[in-house]
Amino acid sequence: MSEKYAVLPCNGLDKCAGQVAREIAQIVCENTENELICPVFYRVSDARYDKIAKENPLLVIDGCATRCASKLAGEKGLKIFRKVTVTEEAQKRGAPLAVAPLRLGAAELALGAELAAELVKAEADDASVDSGVVYPVPEEYIIHKKDKFIFRVPPEGFYFTENDCWVQPVGNRARIGITDFMQQSLSDIMFVTPPTVGATIDQFDEAGTLESGKAVFELVSPVSGKITAVNIPVLNAPELINENPYEKGWIAEIELTNFAEEQEFLLDAAGYLKVLKKKADEYHVGKKQG
Amino acid sequence: MSEDTFMGVPRNTIDWKPTIDYEKCNYCMECFDFCPHKVFKKQEDDPIKLIVENPLNCVVFCRACSKTCGLDALEFPNKVEVTKKIKETRSGVASGE
Repeated sequence: MSEKYAVLPCNGLDKCAGQVAREIAQIVCENTENELICPVFYRVSDARYDKIAKENPLLVIDGCATRCASKLAGEKGLKIFRKVTVTEEAQKRGAPLAVAPLRLGAAELALGAELAAELVKAEADDASVDSGVVYPVPEEYIIHKKDKFIFRVPPEGFYFTENDCWVQPVGNRARIGITDFMQQSLSDIMFVTPPTVGATIDQFDEAGTLESGKAVFELVSPVSGKITAVNIPVLNAPELINENPYEKGWIAEIELTNFAEEQEFLLDAAGYLKVLKKKADEYHVGKKQG
Repeated sequence: MSEDTFMGVPRNTIDWKPTIDYEKCNYCMECFDFCPHKVFKKQEDDPIKLIVENPLNCVVFCRACSKTCGLDALEFPNKVEVTKKIKETRSGVASGE
């Protein structure tokens, strides 16, 4: 999913479950980039939280079955991405909170910490999982050698742009990334700015940037569509792109909107290989002259 | 793939090049040093010390030089418009012009 969620807890101060909801929200926000929404303030002021709430997936934490936080989300016209109800979770664990005191004891804090950890993990899973689509890993690569460089091109299943980006469509989804040639031209990639999940882009629009010591490269999206996931591991470890830009080094997943037509403007492996050879020749000639 | 085409259309039919905003440019020459395609040219003895000499060398959709410009003095055409134009040109080419 995206890099951050908006977290809306019930924050019920007169019930233990509400206190636990608040505790969970705080732990989750401390351990992620998520933004906390204060339900009390949100009720009286749309302006403060509307942008955060509408632009990010919403995580709702209700204390009890009164579901004040869910109801607030409903009133504000927000779509809930994930929710948890503390009393239900406590029940599942055989430790109902009904008679628990307002002040949180060790047991309540432990429950809060456990539920928060689950939510943080679920979020990490959202980020790395891409709709369950299985993208075949190339069994072999076409190799183009130029001096000491070896450039890989997957022989099938991928389409390319002349801007050294690729798309791997599977059904109505696709992954996008940069080619081995571009990866080597950039050298060690140090920073990746992914496209925004949920954003709709046109064919050849920018879909994030990659920064190395040499340059900032815009990923030119080979296809149009809606970004459905970004590859979170490469944000933390951009070297995955240098290692293999077609496999673990993919950048984003996109929901295709018009692939049949757009495919005409893309190159297959043989077509890209020609472009690559020419670029490799020019690049090296340029280097010698420069 | 001839060397003068991009996406199957002649490169010289595609309007893609940087434009230097001389109000902003301070001639730091970062873009000149960066671009390996010799799009820019230095003019040491001219008041205008940097020009876009070879616009057709500019890689279509590449805006990497602008990322080296701290003053935001390099502008590029609208990508969506250019793409549209390329597609139109290409369908014209395909229909036998």
